[in-house]
Amino acid sequence: MKKNIKWPLPKKITRSNLEEQVRQQKDELLVRSGQLKQGAVREKLGAVREKKGAVREKLGAVREKKGAVREKVAEEQIHIRTKAMESTFVGIFIIDAKTPNFPIIYANQYFYNLTGYTKKNVIGRNYFLLHRPDTNSQDYEEIKQILAQGKSFHGEMLNSRKDGEKFWSLLHITPVRDKNGITTHYVGNKTDTTLMKQRDLEIAQQREELLHVTRVGKLAEFVSSLAHEISQPLTAILAYAQAAQRILEGKNPQLQEILQFIINDDQRAAEVIRRLRVLLKKTKPTFEPLDINILIKNTVTLMMPYITARNKIITLELKNNLPSIQGDQIQLQQVLLNLISNSLEAMEESKDSHEMMIRTSCTDNSTILVQVIDSGCGIPSENMKNIFTHFFTNKPDGLGMGLSISRSIVEAHGGHLDAKNNLELGATFYFTIPINIKKDQ
Amino acid sequence: MSSLIYIVDDDESVCRALKTLLGTYGFEVKVFNSAQSFFDAIPDDEPGCLLLDIHMPGIDGWETQKRILDSGSKRPVIFISAEKKENGIDRAMKLGAVGFLQKPVNGQTLVDLINVASKKTTSDNK
Repeated sequence: MKKNIKWPLPKKITRSNLEEQVRQQKDELLVRSGQLKQGAVREKLGAVREKKGAVREKLGAVREKKGAVREKVAEEQIHIRTKAMESTFVGIFIIDAKTPNFPIIYANQYFYNLTGYTKKNVIGRNYFLLHRPDTNSQDYEEIKQILAQGKSFHGEMLNSRKDGEKFWSLLHITPVRDKNGITTHYVGNKTDTTLMKQRDLEIAQQREELLHVTRVGKLAEFVSSLAHEISQPLTAILAYAQAAQRILEGKNPQLQEILQFIINDDQRAAEVIRRLRVLLKKTKPTFEPLDINILIKNTVTLMMPYITARNKIITLELKNNLPSIQGDQIQLQQVLLNLISNSLEAMEESKDSHEMMIRTSCTDNSTILVQVIDSGCGIPSENMKNIFTHFFTNKPDGLGMGLSISRSIVEAHGGHLDAKNNLELGATFYFTIPINIKKDQ
Repeated sequence: MSSLIYIVDDDESVCRALKTLLGTYGFEVKVFNSAQSFFDAIPDDEPGCLLLDIHMPGIDGWETQKRILDSGSKRPVIFISAEKKENGIDRAMKLGAVGFLQKPVNGQTLVDLINVASKKTTSDNK
């Protein structure tokens, strides 16, 4: 009679243990049928287990080896990155955002060079405490607010080094977040922009000086015209009074005295004008060989902030290898400045016009032509013949001197300045300047 | 002795006033508001001293003096201008003028210069 075989019921049959269970049951069947001793089975199982252990051990060794290689690669990368951070010309610092006082935990060498602080001054301290009392603390408040909103800060500011020396820098501070989006650090970089800033300031100063020269030039011209206009009636008044004095000679002494007062005051007025003229005496132009293209580029550089602030675009179409001209740099720059600002003003009125152009060309072997072409409102035909006249202006705050002075400057250089309306839009002011023949010979 | 004076100045009031003043000195004065009207009316060989303004529309003072010189006329010319004396006097003298007076001009100074100019022409003509 067959004995019932108790199957060891596995708690749970899974794909991995199914095979083992089947094999165990097979063994048990063999044992029960007397073909296999239970001890032998155990031995067999033990051997299998041992084999498995050896394999595991081997795998472990491989893994360890791999890990070592990986570690080495990571180490090298950290080394390279640290080296790179240390040798860059940007001041880099890292702030720990999880510690309450937001200490700086790292700063690269350039940061120390730039700020003049040492590692001791910096590490463990709050970035915002790293400024001298004379620094604008409003800047720092702004940065703190922006960072508190989780945004990056980007801005240029004037800083002080530890020794008090000022420098301009461009500061970037960006939050660094972990995989849950929590800000753990801030990384900051600081670039020294002092040289660039100085250059900007120099350009602004040059422009101011040039504008001042222009204003003084305009004023001198204005006073000169005024002196001429006023001296005519003063001449007449003096002559009339002296004539009356002679007619009344030996008669009415009271009238004689009044006439003398008129004469005295006439001469006083004349003296005031004479002194004003001396005061605003124009400096004599100095003529030297000039490259008109360079002069145009320099003038446009000076005007660039005005041009971009008005949302206008200026294109230069300068002919290569133009021969040099003989001229006064300041005066010719004054002419260009005047024509450019006139064009900008003409374009101000019509919102659709944005573009202007300066073009140079060589009309013949002896003359250079400079054209300032705008897309502005153009010149009303009834004004065309008057625009170069003293005191003529259609601008509410204009003196009416710019174009007349520009024309006299160009003519003093042996050239001619004129204007025409463009076929489509705007006007073109153009002037000629003779080529510096002396130098080319 | 010639006592005829011509004045060329675009300012009518200046012309009238100088004419009145010189009249009190006994000069006979003819005024013109442009160089062209002067040339049209007065022949080159007609005697008389010219008081000449510089800044005028049309033919200016410098050009007027040049034309007089080119015509071979011996007419004495005195520039009277608002132009600064130091700027104008050299150029005026180079162009053969008798003198240069800056406006506003003192009557006695002008008359003295006119007398010098007249004597000069008289002696030249001798």
